[in-house]
Amino acid sequence: MLNVILNKVTINKENKEAIILKDISFHLEEKNIYTILGKNGSGKSTLLKSLTSLFDKRFYSVEGSVFYKKKDLLKLNDEELSDIRRNEIRYVFQDPVNSFDHLKTFEYYFKNFFTKDENYIKELLNFFLLPDLQTLSQMYPYEVSGGMAQRINLVLALAAKPKIIFLDEPTSGIDAPIANLIILKLKEFVNEGNIVLLVTHDIDLTKKISSKIALLSDSALSGFYSPEEFFHIHSLIPEV
Amino acid sequence: MSIILKAENLHYPVHQDGKEKIILNNISFEVKRNSILGISGESGSGKTTLGRILSGILKPTAGKINYYFKENHKRVSPVQMLFQNTGEIINPLRKIRSMLRIKGEALERLIEIVGIEKELLDKYGYELSGGEQQRVALARILTVKPELLILDEPFSAQDYESQKNLLNLFLSLKKDLNITMICIAHNLKLLRKLADEVIILYNGEIIEMNKTEELFDDPQQAYTKFLIKAEKYDLKFEDFKQ
Repeated sequence: MLNVILNKVTINKENKEAIILKDISFHLEEKNIYTILGKNGSGKSTLLKSLTSLFDKRFYSVEGSVFYKKKDLLKLNDEELSDIRRNEIRYVFQDPVNSFDHLKTFEYYFKNFFTKDENYIKELLNFFLLPDLQTLSQMYPYEVSGGMAQRINLVLALAAKPKIIFLDEPTSGIDAPIANLIILKLKEFVNEGNIVLLVTHDIDLTKKISSKIALLSDSALSGFYSPEEFFHIHSLIPEV
Repeated sequence: MSIILKAENLHYPVHQDGKEKIILNNISFEVKRNSILGISGESGSGKTTLGRILSGILKPTAGKINYYFKENHKRVSPVQMLFQNTGEIINPLRKIRSMLRIKGEALERLIEIVGIEKELLDKYGYELSGGEQQRVALARILTVKPELLILDEPFSAQDYESQKNLLNLFLSLKKDLNITMICIAHNLKLLRKLADEVIILYNGEIIEMNKTEELFDDPQQAYTKFLIKAEKYDLKFEDFKQ
């Protein structure tokens, strides 16, 4: 379970303070996929990053608390947070190719897991229609397409066997068939007793995948509703 | 209805590590004047290469393309391409007004058509959002009065509201300015709303081509059915094995 209260998230630029998010509170429970829907620039990515204070503290500041396993994540030091992000709460970012260091082959990313459960990684690579571990380990991030990098990120996230995965626009710029694979895997992941929180502007994805949906607009978050309730309340969201 | 473009047996290979790889093979189709043709298929199916050949940026190694234009265009090509927006679509250090190079009523009419706010004219390229940059790029193309406009993934990375606005903009270009368009997009839902006819590419070949309604209501090829199902996020893992 994750209990979130964000009173205020602000950005400081040239001595001017701007509020990006305010008065946000929600809690996430196991076995559910939560979706936050919002337009470009509404603060979706900032919200995700705020949950483990994953941003440049010279410019951003966050007031509030994020409780996970009786610990307030916003009060932990960088080392403790890195540890949690490595093992328990994994992120899959929007720009999949640039999530990797372009001068390192994928071996660098996979070798941390080799000793743990190599078979599980092989299984995941196979599921996501990726090259086998040996081939992929010799490739550089600039050699793969955006869609492939997105899948590799997800494989790395799942391979850590985390409890929670945060995803930022998981379907942007990738083909629909691959998006289907991602949906199937995320559903399996939460059914094993885990949590997924994703932010997106893809309405069809939201309808298909979500247990609960909330809308982020004007710096504030609506409550989480079931898909039926949500699209009943927000019937004006344009369908493309 | 007259046609504006006829492509016959287009062929385009690339050479990789001493081996020949065929990107496009045996591509033939026609585009009717004042219609919108959609081209879809997965990444790597050859969509963008085909767009570049049709706009004259690349030359096919075999086959030919005939264009049938209404007017004699001497200075600028009547075929223009709106590139996929990667943030480098317009000059970041030039003011929008100087990019468009027209004045007075013509300028006002143009920015009204593409939906650019008047205040944006005195901003620099880098100050605009992705969607605004794309509109400026489109406005600049319209100043040369193209007869055929090729759109390469115009909807990617746009949120739902911008996608809908852009869709309506293209439909109005067809209706009000009589511009013929070829729209390359992997998003079938948007092509369904936009295109009169749709071509599905797979591994560099046309596997299905039909009027939009018929293609979606009664797809003939297994791959087309797969793509349509994928758009609805209805695929199961078994579907990928076929």
